[in-house]
Amino acid sequence: MRKLIPTTTPRLLLAAFLLLAAGAAMAQERARIVAVNYPLAYFAERLAGDAAEVIYPVPESVDPSFWRPAIADISTVQSADLILLNGAGFATWVDRVSLPRSKLVNSSDGLSDRFISTQSITHSHGDGGEHSHEGTAAYTWLDPDLAIAQAEAVARAMTARGLAPADAVQDRLDALRSELETLDAAAGDALADAGTVPMIATHPRYQYLARAYGLDIAALDWDAGATPDADQLQALSDLAAERGARILIWEADPGAEAMTATDELGLTSVVFPPLATPPEDGSYLEAFRAAVTALGTAATP
Amino acid sequence: MIRAAALAALLSAAPIGAAAHQLVVFASVDCETVLVEAKFSSGRVAQQGEVRVLDGQNTLLTTLPLAEDGTARIPLESLDYSGGLMIEVDTGGHDNYWILTPEDIARKCGS
Repeated sequence: MRKLIPTTTPRLLLAAFLLLAAGAAMAQERARIVAVNYPLAYFAERLAGDAAEVIYPVPESVDPSFWRPAIADISTVQSADLILLNGAGFATWVDRVSLPRSKLVNSSDGLSDRFISTQSITHSHGDGGEHSHEGTAAYTWLDPDLAIAQAEAVARAMTARGLAPADAVQDRLDALRSELETLDAAAGDALADAGTVPMIATHPRYQYLARAYGLDIAALDWDAGATPDADQLQALSDLAAERGARILIWEADPGAEAMTATDELGLTSVVFPPLATPPEDGSYLEAFRAAVTALGTAATP
Repeated sequence: MIRAAALAALLSAAPIGAAAHQLVVFASVDCETVLVEAKFSSGRVAQQGEVRVLDGQNTLLTTLPLAEDGTARIPLESLDYSGGLMIEVDTGGHDNYWILTPEDIARKCGS
């Protein structure tokens, strides 16, 4: 006996199968982009849309400047279609592994004349005799103008490799550039009067921010989120007195005890996440805007 | 004094580019040997130091000294390299590392 099957059932099954197959193919064909820091990952996600999977390989709570990858992490990076570097000496692990040159893009190529040089005082350790360390400040994305240039580099890299449709990338770049320009203008307004207020940062992260908005920021070298000890507080007190500083910039919330201790020195605390890692709330744009607003408010007499 | 200390901290930005005297470690592999090379960024060869070889699970596989020419050679057959190799070099005052993934090793072996 022949069993009759409604004709719609096989069609539906076929359609479902085709949809699943197409989905699987799209998943396989989706480009994979690795970014060495959060700002580049954010730009890549904005620019690629659904065309690519963006991977920020650094574990949460680890500073990507000093991340030491595991072997498996590097296998993941090596297999990506595009590897976005920040340049300016950021993420030194990239110099300790073999990465495919054809997939590497330094997003700050062409910006070296705008880099800020750094140099420590002469010191001695190991068998190297007296020497000093020279280098480059790395947190370029804290100047929105440099961030725009880096986003443009990311867009060019995606388009050149065909990782996302060129028209769509261009449209998204135009939108992102506009938002970064708005951020820049907002930061300029918020910090318009802040240049006359000496500030101290608990870690040297804000060189490009300071230059972009004419800020006077000296820096200590405290660990992010750590409670300062008595010696550190004394050094801060001395430095604040010498510079007339009344604002202290933290990378991360150090907790009530630390803030109380620095409040007692007459310093107003402002948490300004340097955004190398994803912010606790919001995106790069939102967190940046909130931070400059807080800084501008604190600097207002 | 305070100004100098603050300036030092300001200038010694944590994530900096090429430092004047970093130890530079490089490891390459063929199907027989892992060749480790260590020198300072000044170009001077690291004449003394300990080489540590770890596997993909961060388990120490072997240690050996650097030769006077700043190299060390490790027979590949003596290592379980299926999960890749982490090569660490420590000269006492400086240390650094190089990562060889399983893909790096397979590529050099032509497989």
